[in-house]
Amino acid sequence: MSQKRITSILLMIIIFLAILNFIQYINPRKEIIISTSSQSEVRIRVSTTTSLYATGLLDYLAFQFNKLYPNVKIDFIAVGSSAALKIAERGDACIVFSHAPELEEQYIKKGVIDYGRIIAYNYFIIVGPLDDPAGIRNASSAEDAFRKIYEACESGRTFFISRGDNSGTHIKEISIWKKIGIDPHGKSWYRETGTGMDQVLIISNEMKAYTLSDTGTYLQFKKEGRLPNIEELFSNDSSLINIYSIYLVRNCSSDLIPYAIAFIDFIYYNQRDLIGKFGIDKYGVPLFIPAIDKEKELACEWLKIARGY
Amino acid sequence: MNEIIDITLRSIWISGCATLIAFFIGIPLAYILAYRRRAELISSIVESLVGIPTVVLGLFLYFLFSKSGPLGFLNLLYTPQAIIIGEAILVIPLIISTSFRILKNTIYIYGEFAIAIGATKTQKMILILKESYLGLLASFTMAFSRAIGELGIALMIGGNIKDFTRVMTTAIALGVSKGEFELSLLLGCILVIIMIVISVILRIISRGIKY
Repeated sequence: MSQKRITSILLMIIIFLAILNFIQYINPRKEIIISTSSQSEVRIRVSTTTSLYATGLLDYLAFQFNKLYPNVKIDFIAVGSSAALKIAERGDACIVFSHAPELEEQYIKKGVIDYGRIIAYNYFIIVGPLDDPAGIRNASSAEDAFRKIYEACESGRTFFISRGDNSGTHIKEISIWKKIGIDPHGKSWYRETGTGMDQVLIISNEMKAYTLSDTGTYLQFKKEGRLPNIEELFSNDSSLINIYSIYLVRNCSSDLIPYAIAFIDFIYYNQRDLIGKFGIDKYGVPLFIPAIDKEKELACEWLKIARGY
Repeated sequence: MNEIIDITLRSIWISGCATLIAFFIGIPLAYILAYRRRAELISSIVESLVGIPTVVLGLFLYFLFSKSGPLGFLNLLYTPQAIIIGEAILVIPLIISTSFRILKNTIYIYGEFAIAIGATKTQKMILILKESYLGLLASFTMAFSRAIGELGIALMIGGNIKDFTRVMTTAIALGVSKGEFELSLLLGCILVIIMIVISVILRIISRGIKY
């Protein structure tokens, strides 16, 4: 009988704690208001491309920003570029990080996003098997490299892995195929995986196939030793430029807009110190190049990509 | 390390709350259902909903909770409460379908006996719930495991926000996309251990309560 009583009391305590905690979750801001005392906490929601978030850059930027604005919490939602913009369109985010100029242009025209700033750039790279059956190591341009990959694939020597998920990287890849007038869809060597960059890199490592990758994810996986069968074969071509921009979402609620603009400006004006030095200690090279020194050239490049010239 | 503990506790509380809510909604529904004569159609529908893909439910709830959706004014999207609601909805069919059979069986054995010895309606209910205690507990454990192990809802309407809505499954997914497979594997092991430990604890408690 006493054992029964003890166990039922235990059960009651567990249920009580669970309910107590749920109440805490219902008012998550209450506690923090007390602790920071002076200003109430503000949460800014930011939708972002996964490639940018997975490098850890954004958490680092938010951490630095919080030194100036301790009451502003930046919440990152990491999805693909197209999903990030879609979330913004539905009013669920205040700021968007994106690297797909074609899509950004559409949303700017629709009046969803505004106050665009180019904050960083780097180059997409073509990775492939170590023995390079297509011979793209000494290709003259990205188009040339893709043509060589096409020929090698057609003769059955290798594969090409595509993101197939409407991400910035995928859109870039499609635009290169379009430029050389080849439609790879439906070919047996063209594998559309519909997954993130991480999975695509792992798959191309397993299949010893070619793929287009962003620098950040590739360096991270290479450094962790996950990609023994593939390596960077072609890079640094101006047509492979990867431009990261930040936007304010227009239907962001008006009391959040000043904080959102503060965050955008903070990143924009501190690019050299924050973005330019990020990743050097870990990878030996910066993952992103700050855009502020080449702003006009990058704006031209952005327009070129967006309008498909 | 601190973050791992944080994520683990958050996971347990979110899924625990979701399962409790679902339990207190699901068991009465199952009890009512067990007393109905032609419950087979409803129960088969509910049973089929047990395996609903979490990402489908997540997407549906995203449209519901989104700012431009019908419940956008509640500001629930990308909060822990949203995950709790989503996971509760996810496991309600599981709780109903598993406890429905047990309750029906117990009612078949003890229902008329209870009336025969002159029990009131509430006394009868208490007797039946008591007799099917172990089965109900098993359904609770299953529901908790399903809730803590699901990814789609936590990702779609939780948003995997650091220190706010990041739970074990979304942290595992992020770890994979960062190439930190060891961290993901560690979190995965913790997740399985938690499931087993909770199940064992509930079993020990139930033993104490029964006799």
